[in-house]
Amino acid sequence: MDNALLDARLTRRGFLRAGALVVGYATLGGVPHAIGTAEAAGSSALVNAWVRIGSDNSVAVLIGSAEMGQGVCTSLAQIVADELQADWTRVTFEFAPAAPAYANFVTHAQLTGGSMSVRGYYAGLRVAGAAAREMLKSAAALAWGVPASACTATNGTVTAIVGGVTKSMTYGALAPAAATLPVPASPPLTPDSALRFIGHSLPRLDLAAKTTGAAVFGIDVRVPGMAYAAIKHCPQLGGTLAVLPKKPSGATAIVGLDNAVAVVVEDTTWHAIQLARNLKPTWTIPSSVADLTTATIMTEAKSLMASATPAIAESVGNPAAAIAAAKLQLDATYDVPYLAHATLEPLNCTASVTRTSCEIWAPTQAAGIVAQTAATLTGLPLSAITVHTTFLGGGLGRKFEQDFIAQAIRVSQALMRPVKLTWSREEDFGNDQYRPMALARVQAGLDATGAVVGWRNRIVSPSILFQRGWVGPNDVDSQAVDGAIDLPYGFATRAVEYVRHTAEIPVGFWRSVGFSINTFVVESAIDELATLAGIDPLAFRQRLLANDARSLGVLNAAAALGGWNTPVPKGHARGIAFCEGFGSTVAQVIEIAGKAGSISVVRVSCAIDCGTVINPDTVAAQMEGGIVQGLGAALWGKMTFTNGVASPRNFNGYAMVRMRNMPQVAVTVLASGGFVGGVGEPGVPPVAPALANAYARLTGIRLRSLPMFTAPRSGD
Amino acid sequence: MITLNVNGTNYQVNAGSDMPLLWVIRDILGLTGTKYGCGIEQCGACTVLVDGHPQKSCDMDATEAVGRKITTIEGLSATGTHPVQLAWIANQVPQCGYCQSGMILCVAAALARNPKAKATDITGELENICACGTYQRIRNAVKSITG
Repeated sequence: MDNALLDARLTRRGFLRAGALVVGYATLGGVPHAIGTAEAAGSSALVNAWVRIGSDNSVAVLIGSAEMGQGVCTSLAQIVADELQADWTRVTFEFAPAAPAYANFVTHAQLTGGSMSVRGYYAGLRVAGAAAREMLKSAAALAWGVPASACTATNGTVTAIVGGVTKSMTYGALAPAAATLPVPASPPLTPDSALRFIGHSLPRLDLAAKTTGAAVFGIDVRVPGMAYAAIKHCPQLGGTLAVLPKKPSGATAIVGLDNAVAVVVEDTTWHAIQLARNLKPTWTIPSSVADLTTATIMTEAKSLMASATPAIAESVGNPAAAIAAAKLQLDATYDVPYLAHATLEPLNCTASVTRTSCEIWAPTQAAGIVAQTAATLTGLPLSAITVHTTFLGGGLGRKFEQDFIAQAIRVSQALMRPVKLTWSREEDFGNDQYRPMALARVQAGLDATGAVVGWRNRIVSPSILFQRGWVGPNDVDSQAVDGAIDLPYGFATRAVEYVRHTAEIPVGFWRSVGFSINTFVVESAIDELATLAGIDPLAFRQRLLANDARSLGVLNAAAALGGWNTPVPKGHARGIAFCEGFGSTVAQVIEIAGKAGSISVVRVSCAIDCGTVINPDTVAAQMEGGIVQGLGAALWGKMTFTNGVASPRNFNGYAMVRMRNMPQVAVTVLASGGFVGGVGEPGVPPVAPALANAYARLTGIRLRSLPMFTAPRSGD
Repeated sequence: MITLNVNGTNYQVNAGSDMPLLWVIRDILGLTGTKYGCGIEQCGACTVLVDGHPQKSCDMDATEAVGRKITTIEGLSATGTHPVQLAWIANQVPQCGYCQSGMILCVAAALARNPKAKATDITGELENICACGTYQRIRNAVKSITG
């Protein structure tokens, strides 16, 4: 950790007063309603940017990441509280405001993605917690007239022997004085052996709120004087608003946006949604919209696969020659569809723009970017902009985007009053920034011993980064090849190529991003090679990973958990897959039962090595959640397009894993230490290939195209 | 004006004749623990209890709820200590938490209807969507209650 950088972050200078969730009470409909989960109890002092201590000895840790289920409001608090020597029973959390002080120490941005929360904040938060502890000790030392080195901080209290008498003061009593002291740049860190919270499955801090209805998600925000808005986008992607329709009866206002119209009403979101749904705006539809059709996109992908000049993502040796000379060859083409994020909380944002200020409440993964968006749209300086990050009812990458944020700001700006904008579920499905489709061809060769002598993988897929202007038209999109390059298998010769598909369906970051595509391709192909070589798929991977103890450990742990070497019940089959990504390694064994066309997923056995573990239970929960997300996508997930119109538009056409589909999931969390790996995303990638590999063993049918099955349609 | 009994309190509300109960609860009464997820009775995030029975409130006209006892997550227990809520915490069920009001109410209703219900009977009826995938922990939480 760069201590100079950290020092700048830890100073209070420029820090915006947080109180992120405590915004008081709004009285609407005659019922007082608390906006927020934190109770302001007495006075409190911000000891440094990350620690607020109340006169009641409560310790609130400020959380720079968004809490979308992954448990960061607990795990990040554990890191700070451990160094702080806090009393865990008094620890709570607050979501930090958007401010440079709260940027992730590694990504230098206040964004939640890439499984970077613990990875990015761990080292810095340990220093922050230690710094606050030293400040509390210094405050006690000053009060008692002894050197700080004579003071001990333990479980929320500082003690020292002064003139033969043991003195003690609680953190709550010391905090106001501590807050006036300089923040030490290099406080001593607690030896790992003395850590009390890190590495332990402490109960999550957000569950009382999440079992009583008290947790405030973006969609629950209510501020005084607020109007309700709903949105209707052009039904065809790429279309723009030509003529703003007349304001419907009962509406307060109608606001034209680039590709959408917002309707504003006084009373309820439902009223706004009804009026928006019935609007008949005139749209300008570009002629290229015909290209935004699933079959056309696939035809173009095949053409690009055959004839485009690729960008080279990885190249070692001459795999073409090696494959040509190999004893056995594989040539397999895989494809995956566009996917929706389908977060259960639809997109929404509340904005209050005045001539001199802009305040935003949003379920956002990108508080830092939200502030920039607001500054750009309003022309106000960042100092006039306040961003409150609420709980997120799922994020999955979708709530990183700024479209719904910008809409709310623009509507509030047009009305100069607070507005909550909510997307209906149909708008949410229809105007996603979808996980891109992809077509990938793997050619590989095996020698007589079953060793992989050559590996070629050409990936055709739209570019998330190019669509944002972050890479050039002929560049490799790093996101598109994640999970396809730098594989731990280290094939002797290899070439990974990327061809950008130009389809203009908006694409975005979907939990595990490129890995959600490429791990399916790679781990399916590895299984096919194992079959070709006549080697057990686990043994085949063990050979490839023979010199990689960490990967081998994970693979073997998953195999043991899944009973790989035990007899498979009749009518059952197992598949295995492995993934190294987001700083972690994950392997899964999936056992299925049934027959061709009709299977049930019986058991998923998962092992993860994420190095340093903060909270083993939340790691396990992320694996469970990633597995469920991966299963839904692999079994049924698919968005299709016809002349730019997305389908389906609700959960009756987009099958999600439900209780009846839920397999038994077992998770082994390996903590090999020495590094900090991510956990939010790497549980997803191995699911699809492990499932396809199991299916191939069960039925003899190799499914190279996702989803594996047609989604069951549930009744409307 | 209609009168709705929500969590034991009578509220006079001015809801349009076709306004779903969900939006009366959320936007007029300000009880936001009941969630909007789909609007077509698919996801169950909007589940409330009507006379003790789980009901998806997104597609039920508020007028149909007149004269019936409506319980939302806020009314399940004054202190958040209903056995289902406690089991949810003991088993660390929620992730994002958005669906959990509906899940908890469904399970609480099943247990109230039949205190001797088997865990598999209760979870077998659970149709609600949890996009975070907390189903296994829900099973465990229910088992911890039914034994």
